[in-house]
Amino acid sequence: MTGTSDTRPPNILVCVKFVPDPNQLQADASGHPDLARAPFRISTFDENAIEAALQLSTRHGGHIFGVSVTSGQVPPRDVLLRTLAMGVEVLYLIKDEARLAADPYRVAAVLAAAARAIQSAENIPSWDLVIAGEASADQFNAQIGPRVAMALDLPAIAYATKLELQHGRLIANRATDERSETLEVDLPALVTVGTEINQARMPTVLQVMGAARKPIREIVIEELPGIDLDALERRPSLRTIDISAPPSARKRIVIEGQDAAEMASHLLSRLGTDGEVKF
Amino acid sequence: MNIQEILIFSENPDTLVELLTAGRTLFGPAGGRVTAVTIGPTTTEVARDCLVRGADQALVIQTGAASLPAENGLVLGLLEAIRATDPDTILIGATRTGTDVVAQLAQALEVPCASNCMKLRRDEDGNLEIERRVYGGRFTATQVLMGRPQIASIPPNRFPKADLVQEAHGSIKEVVVELPPPRIRVKATLPRVRSAVDVTKAEVIVAAGRGVKKVEDLSLLDTLASALGGVLAGTRPLTGDVDWLPIDRRVGLSGQTVKPNLYIACGISGQIEHIVGMKGARTVVAINNDPKAPIHAEADYSIIGDLYEIVPAFLDAYERTKRT
Ligand SMILES: Cc1cc2nc3c(=O)[nH]c(=O)nc-3n(C[C@H](O)[C@H](O)[C@H](O)COP(=O)(O)OP(=O)(O)OC[C@H]3O[C@@H](n4cnc5c(N)ncnc54)[C@H](O)[C@@H]3O)c2cc1C
Repeated sequence: MTGTSDTRPPNILVCVKFVPDPNQLQADASGHPDLARAPFRISTFDENAIEAALQLSTRHGGHIFGVSVTSGQVPPRDVLLRTLAMGVEVLYLIKDEARLAADPYRVAAVLAAAARAIQSAENIPSWDLVIAGEASADQFNAQIGPRVAMALDLPAIAYATKLELQHGRLIANRATDERSETLEVDLPALVTVGTEINQARMPTVLQVMGAARKPIREIVIEELPGIDLDALERRPSLRTIDISAPPSARKRIVIEGQDAAEMASHLLSRLGTDGEVKF
Repeated sequence: MNIQEILIFSENPDTLVELLTAGRTLFGPAGGRVTAVTIGPTTTEVARDCLVRGADQALVIQTGAASLPAENGLVLGLLEAIRATDPDTILIGATRTGTDVVAQLAQALEVPCASNCMKLRRDEDGNLEIERRVYGGRFTATQVLMGRPQIASIPPNRFPKADLVQEAHGSIKEVVVELPPPRIRVKATLPRVRSAVDVTKAEVIVAAGRGVKKVEDLSLLDTLASALGGVLAGTRPLTGDVDWLPIDRRVGLSGQTVKPNLYIACGISGQIEHIVGMKGARTVVAINNDPKAPIHAEADYSIIGDLYEIVPAFLDAYERTKRT
């Protein structure tokens, strides 16, 4: 791709997580998540991260690489290919079959090592931008973006709602609880994004077919250059001891009626009887 | 077991004194000490407020900057506070700023951190055991932090503010930190609109989803909320994708956790990330014209219909009943 602006075509790395779709995940008989039966998907905000990269790349050229740490089993190929169908050029999978990267500290350390390894393998002088979702749809830790920034010593802008590249700088809007801000930072930098920033594209049939020809490069975590597995082993940890769902105990009564007026008055009398509406 | 050294920080003064309450629940058999950290100029007042609410110490980090430093500056300030107190446990308010700061801080210390903890306790070994929401909030994970320091973030409004004590016993210590020039420059800033009401305390909530077609139409739901003595809240698309409602009225995983007596969901599909915020409601009503919408399974009473017809009809019926 060629740049059509005053900005050098950026090399963008997008951190992508594949997650069991929370909206299709059910509890098994014991109340634990039935992970084997939930389909995988790209974590919601990571789709926005990919889209954000694509929009910058459409304007300024450059290259988009994806990187993902897969924990345990690798997700089905069609789910992986979706990142490439959307427009990612090369997807790197860091395969962690033994689940060594068991918490955000370790995942971020692995992603930072992967960012360096990919840079050298692909002959990229420097990443200009690393983009991650603000939080993953399954664990919702909201830690990976800022952690990777710290590990790579990059300035981080979390919760970005708009990105622009100008003269080698990033101009970003973002919202904290208190303020909306416009920020400026020299590249390289890291940003995290949520659904607010864009509407992620649906790949076309042609793009889905084309994705099969794009490379997926796998690295097993034990062979990732620059990773110190012993150190990860020794550092303090976060252990999950249980995951369970409280059963929902709603009445689930569907209010019937001929028309809106009748349904409304049926609802009102129910709520009156329950003492939830007072007159 | 030794005395538990607990460090608390939030850039939001209200959240900070909530963390004071949370910190006290984590004292071990040998007791504990809570140090409240404030960073930036004009935070001495906040530090004093912590002391009159019983904090054992307040550390005011002065950075020389005229305003609150950016996240990276907050991280450097906290690292200094950690050097000064060598805490066992660090609790940070999970505002957006706090969420960003705690992750950077934990990575700098090369330790894990438990985000957005809904419950915290000490297990038999003295480790911090927490509960947090996972998989969109459908499930609750119980996790244990091991090693030192143990870091957790806690959402605002999760704990009550610490009460004023008879006599403050802690003192304020000032620490000066030289910050490098910030790498991120603020070009413009606008305060976000905040609500006059606190949805987490509301007894009746009328919640709007994308079934509401135009911002003007929210007045219909606002009328319903007012009639019932309640407040208007909304889903993420209405409180971020568009700013139809202030962000502090967002209910769900990335917003508020509410527990009203009555929750009326209008034009809300009922994705798990929303449901988790209103699960604590005593009675849930869903008005949605799609019979297959997941919200119906999460409701006590469902009306399968158009909110633009049902809500006015309900208001009519309510006014008529009230008159008789
Ligand atoms: C990590 C993560 C965190 C998130 N956090 C939150 C959060 O904190 N809060 C939150 O709300 N969401 C959150 N979301 C987003 C969430 O997944 C949903 O996208 C969102 O809740 C959907 O909002 P909605 O129900 O308003 O819109 P939609 O899903 O578009 O639903 C609109 C509904 O309105 C109905 N409708 C349309 N017209 C009418 C009419 N005239 N009358 C009646 N009904 C009508 C439709 O049938 C539909 O069911 C999060 C997502 C992720 C991935």
